Amino acid sequence: MKNFVNFFIKVGKLKSMPRRGWVINEIKNPESIADHIFRATLMAWFLGTKKKGLKMERLLKMALIHDLCEVYAGDTTPYDSVLPKDSKKRREVVKKWPRFNFFQKLKLKKQKHEKEKRALKRLVKELPPELRREIENLWMDYEEGLTPEGRFFKQADRVENFLQALEYWKKYKKPPQGPWWEWAREYFDDPLLLEFINQMAKHFYGNKAIGL
Amino acid sequence: MERKIFYLTKEKLKELKREYEQLLELERKRSLSEKAPQAIESEDLNPEFVSFQENLEFLKARISELKEILENHQLILPPSKERCRFVEMGAKVTVEVNGQRDELMIVGTLEANPALGKISNESPVGKALLGHKVGDEVVISSPVKTVYKIKAIKYEIS
Repeated sequence: MKNFVNFFIKVGKLKSMPRRGWVINEIKNPESIADHIFRATLMAWFLGTKKKGLKMERLLKMALIHDLCEVYAGDTTPYDSVLPKDSKKRREVVKKWPRFNFFQKLKLKKQKHEKEKRALKRLVKELPPELRREIENLWMDYEEGLTPEGRFFKQADRVENFLQALEYWKKYKKPPQGPWWEWAREYFDDPLLLEFINQMAKHFYGNKAIGL
Repeated sequence: MERKIFYLTKEKLKELKREYEQLLELERKRSLSEKAPQAIESEDLNPEFVSFQENLEFLKARISELKEILENHQLILPPSKERCRFVEMGAKVTVEVNGQRDELMIVGTLEANPALGKISNESPVGKALLGHKVGDEVVISSPVKTVYKIKAIKYEIS
């Protein structure tokens, strides 16, 4: 039981770790990583039931563990490598979706993956072997999209993020919405999630979103 | 029920076939031994998948997934000389978006990896770019309008 207590104390840190994307956009009292996990799991459940053939237990477990690595790895954003320290310049940078050449994309993806993999291994090392392996396998599935659950949740996770971005934009007029839409139209391809996003658009933009 | 077709490049198909054969071998070895399986000593085995051997449920799920993909795939082939001017599946498209250049490859949903510039033919941008040629401006409708100017199209698939 001692290892479980230690594990849950470490995981509890996620309740007070703010999501970095909101910090760089100067959002007041931004949501924590645990806040994001909570709603992403609910989304996986509700939207996952509308998808035929998904294994619900696997999907929900994946949702629960997908960001645990951030206890040690911290949260990352696509802007991290191009973000100036000066807050005025930073505000300009976040107005555009950051685009990189193929080699930069490859390097960034690999760096993030390796960092998070190491962090997860460190976090789960004291858990019973079966549980440890299950968590590592679920995370790998989420990262690489090895099963229908992995591929679906990879996108559902980002939908939660997108919804939060629009909620903040409505409340604080930031983060800038342009880059989010630019990214979303390239990123999502799951028909159910695209339908959900169109519904989100109608909610936040009203008539402007009709005909999407 | 409509059958799902998985569009794959030759490279991806080769990779998946190899993985499928390796995992079947792994499953066969597991079934031969009731004891906890020993690590398979193979230089060919992708280390990302080694952990699958330790969990039978994962192993079976991935094998069944790969079987379905291999039975229902369609190879993305280079287009004819005539169609090379147009964006089709497998094309690498240089675009200018909001003053920035990027190269996007149009692939099937299974191979899509937007972080690496591989976007799905079922995504709104992937779908909209299909059929266009250099010089075209493709407008993506969303609450915030985005214009993709096509600067170059090339095919590096075989």
